[in-house]
Amino acid sequence: MTIRTLLAGTAAIAASPAFAQEQVELDLWTIDDPGEYHYVMAEEYMAANPEVTINLRTVQFPDMVNDLARAIATGDSPDITYIDNPEVALFASRGLLMDLSPYIEASDIVNAEDIFPGPLASVSYDGGIYGIPRGANTIALYYNADMFEAAGLDPDAPPQTWDELYEAAKVLTKPEDNVYGLAFSANGNEEGTFQFLPWVQMTGGDYDNIATPGAERALTLWKAFIDERLASPDTLIRGQWDSTGTFNAGNAAMSISGPWEIPRMSEEAQFDWRVALLPVPDTEAERASALGEGDNVILANTDEPEAAFAFLEFLYDNMDRVWNEFGYLPASEVEVVDPKFPEAYAVFEESMQYARNRGPSPDWPQISKAVQTAIQSALTGQATPADALAEAQETISDVVN
Amino acid sequence: MLRDERLSQYALLTVALALVATYLFPVYWMYVTALKSGNEIVAWPPTFWPADPDFAAAEVWERLQMATYMKNSVIIAVGVTLIVVTLGTGCGYALARVRSRWMDVVLFAILMMQVLPSSLMITPIFVAFSQIGLLDYPRTAVILAQAAKVLPFYVVLTRATFIQVPKELEEAALVDGNSRIGAFLSINVPLARNGILVAALLIFLQSLGEYVYSRSLIQARAFQPATVGLQSFMGPNTSDWQGVMTYAAIYVTPIILFFVLLQRQIVSGLTSGALK
Amino acid sequence: MSAPTSSFRDGRGFDRILVWITLGFLIVFSAFPLVYNVIMSFQNVDLFTLASFDRPFVGLDNYDEVLTRNATQIIVRNTAVFVVLSVAAQLSIGFALALFFQQRFPGATWLRGLFLAGWIMPGLVVGGVWSFILAGDFGVLNWLLQTLGVTDDKIFWLSDPSKSLYSVIIANVWVGVPFNMILLSVGLAAIPDDIYEAAELDGAGRVWRFLTITLPLMRAQLGAVISLGIIFTLQQFDLFAALTQGGPSNGSNVMQYWSWELSFQDYRIGQGSAVSVLMILVVIGVAAIYVRSTRHEHAA
Repeated sequence: MTIRTLLAGTAAIAASPAFAQEQVELDLWTIDDPGEYHYVMAEEYMAANPEVTINLRTVQFPDMVNDLARAIATGDSPDITYIDNPEVALFASRGLLMDLSPYIEASDIVNAEDIFPGPLASVSYDGGIYGIPRGANTIALYYNADMFEAAGLDPDAPPQTWDELYEAAKVLTKPEDNVYGLAFSANGNEEGTFQFLPWVQMTGGDYDNIATPGAERALTLWKAFIDERLASPDTLIRGQWDSTGTFNAGNAAMSISGPWEIPRMSEEAQFDWRVALLPVPDTEAERASALGEGDNVILANTDEPEAAFAFLEFLYDNMDRVWNEFGYLPASEVEVVDPKFPEAYAVFEESMQYARNRGPSPDWPQISKAVQTAIQSALTGQATPADALAEAQETISDVVN
Repeated sequence: MLRDERLSQYALLTVALALVATYLFPVYWMYVTALKSGNEIVAWPPTFWPADPDFAAAEVWERLQMATYMKNSVIIAVGVTLIVVTLGTGCGYALARVRSRWMDVVLFAILMMQVLPSSLMITPIFVAFSQIGLLDYPRTAVILAQAAKVLPFYVVLTRATFIQVPKELEEAALVDGNSRIGAFLSINVPLARNGILVAALLIFLQSLGEYVYSRSLIQARAFQPATVGLQSFMGPNTSDWQGVMTYAAIYVTPIILFFVLLQRQIVSGLTSGALK
Repeated sequence: MSAPTSSFRDGRGFDRILVWITLGFLIVFSAFPLVYNVIMSFQNVDLFTLASFDRPFVGLDNYDEVLTRNATQIIVRNTAVFVVLSVAAQLSIGFALALFFQQRFPGATWLRGLFLAGWIMPGLVVGGVWSFILAGDFGVLNWLLQTLGVTDDKIFWLSDPSKSLYSVIIANVWVGVPFNMILLSVGLAAIPDDIYEAAELDGAGRVWRFLTITLPLMRAQLGAVISLGIIFTLQQFDLFAALTQGGPSNGSNVMQYWSWELSFQDYRIGQGSAVSVLMILVVIGVAAIYVRSTRHEHAA
């Protein structure tokens, strides 16, 4: 128990003396299992605030939206829940989430300006703030420095631009040794969109403006990776985790994925692995990266708004712990003392500045589906990148308007 | 002559072993994957025995508190099997015995009841169960939903078995003064016991693996079955395949052992048909 | 003794009661969700109006949307291929194994029981194992084919759109074989030996005995196994989720997975329900054929 946790608890009690005496019960839904973020935090909070009981329920990540919607429909919804960030708009647009802006304004702990722009955008909808990011993650380029050296590339100068990435992948690909130049994920689910959208955003496009020359260039490059066997054809059905598994095993020289890979990589990768920022289309281009992880939100129909917000404040106040203890990046300006994997942390922390939200749109899943369809039909050769993106744009325009 | 028969028996055994080995290869692969490191899982050429076996069974059992999960799985499977056998056996018999347009309609209706996968049935079931308060008894809720899911399957299978029981035996019993129910219980059920047993066994095993209903209807960890616990290896960005396979090995092994050890009692009836 | 009781004990009432017990249970627990799905397919359903019936009816709009999509044709075709090939392969392999293990040799029963292992593995695990076996880069199937010299290049079973459906079929056949084999074994065991012996004395060969004795006497079992096999195959979901997610580019998508995707991933619940109703129509056909086929069972 740190002094700060105690203080946070005290602050919460001070904020609304009315429930200081009474027992408060909060239902919290999370994607964590015991021993992970929400369980640890809830335990600490209950220890510091004996009048609060937090009932946790684990919901699998892919089931969260459906379970939540079902619970709302039948009146069994929790007070607080985790939501993946592109889904916040869906719930906020229906008035199902509590607007936290007045609470944040009155708060001594949460300051919206300290939250990075990407994560803040992910909880903002139509002028309100509907959640507090519990942390964040993003993607970057992992590379095998030993393979760089063996191939005559400078391991201190990882690819900066798309062209350099392509050239490097070409040099590094060694079919006779079962080594692909690059591993990434073009999976036909949210992961595909998550990986592809930053490429579009770097060229000035976005989810609602996807049939652009820049996006076409990105998709054409992705197609070249697959067609020229610089990346495995199984990239189309494999997630980031399983793709990066092949990088760890030495079957791919580079891999695009996020910080969640680091614990396993540090154990299994028997080589000098390093991380670099995602390459950009041209040296001048603006940077962009994906934004992952989720948010702590309060349901609009909660009976205990103050108590729920006090717990959110506590979570926010412990943002500096998320990297070392739970493996994701802080979503706000905090100093992480003595970060684990300092070099990787430095890259991901910088990348976080460029992380962009997916959406916001209440119909995000349908938009995302259109993007995935475009990626998959272009990579399988069923449509040209331009046609695939044009079709996606048509669907997306229908959805957005 | 005898020698020839001997020889051909061993030839058959050899072929049988080869067939079983081929079929069980994926099961073997599950065990081996549980023992492999992440790197070895994706290694080329694939290794048939891990270089450095690391079986974390005790750790997984302990950390996930699998004893509770397994207990719940068994409770659910037993509950489903009991309901299905109690309700379904008579129906299978009646459908086999009576020929009429109405019975055709009933058979058709029963078949229709299981057309949709659980994943599409769950929403209305959840809503209905929540309205009538069944969600407060989550394991019972799963048992009822799953029993409804597999009952048609059981009825169709037992019906096929009862058809093979000659009508004459039952008619003779009725002539001897047995009541319908007496004849059913003392003649038909014993004669169809193999089919009933096997169908019940299949239902039991399938319910042991029930996932979709349990996942949605049971919120408290303490009541969840093993299939739901298995999901804790799959994170939003990570999937711990060694963990999944280790857990699965722990879950599957006792069931397989159970069969191997009790084979004679359970399925031996198969070869010695009741009518021989 | 009053009339209803005597009817229960001795008359037709006994059969009726037996049937109604089951039917009643099913109407309470299964018919409602089915009807609910059908209703939703005519409505504009929102993720948050799931619990109320008060939703706008939109006529056949959902069906119109679903049937005019680009992907529809390929998904319907995939579903047909998936069902026909899966059932045919499961049935022939299962029947062949059942016949084989019907012979007398040491350990026959014991070994046959081991096939049930395929039936007890959780869906997630079966999917995971097969995704390792079928993986293009490191899969053991490719290793085997290369070692045997069948192919020089690695085959990307899961990510080649022309093959991904067949890789799911392979895994699904593996799952379905024990079910077919065990049930057909039960049927075979119930055929009295003396029938065969009589035929053998008459000089009937193996093939002839199979065609004239085994097949007709197995009619009820075969009908049940085939119709249930079709229904099971139409419900196969886990393997798609674990192996290909219907991809790449709908290459291995089938109606049951598509319906789930529409309802639970895109939240187009009305359209998802419409797809499920189309599936129900298919099963109505299968069930009708099965029921018709049972008319001849008693003759045998």
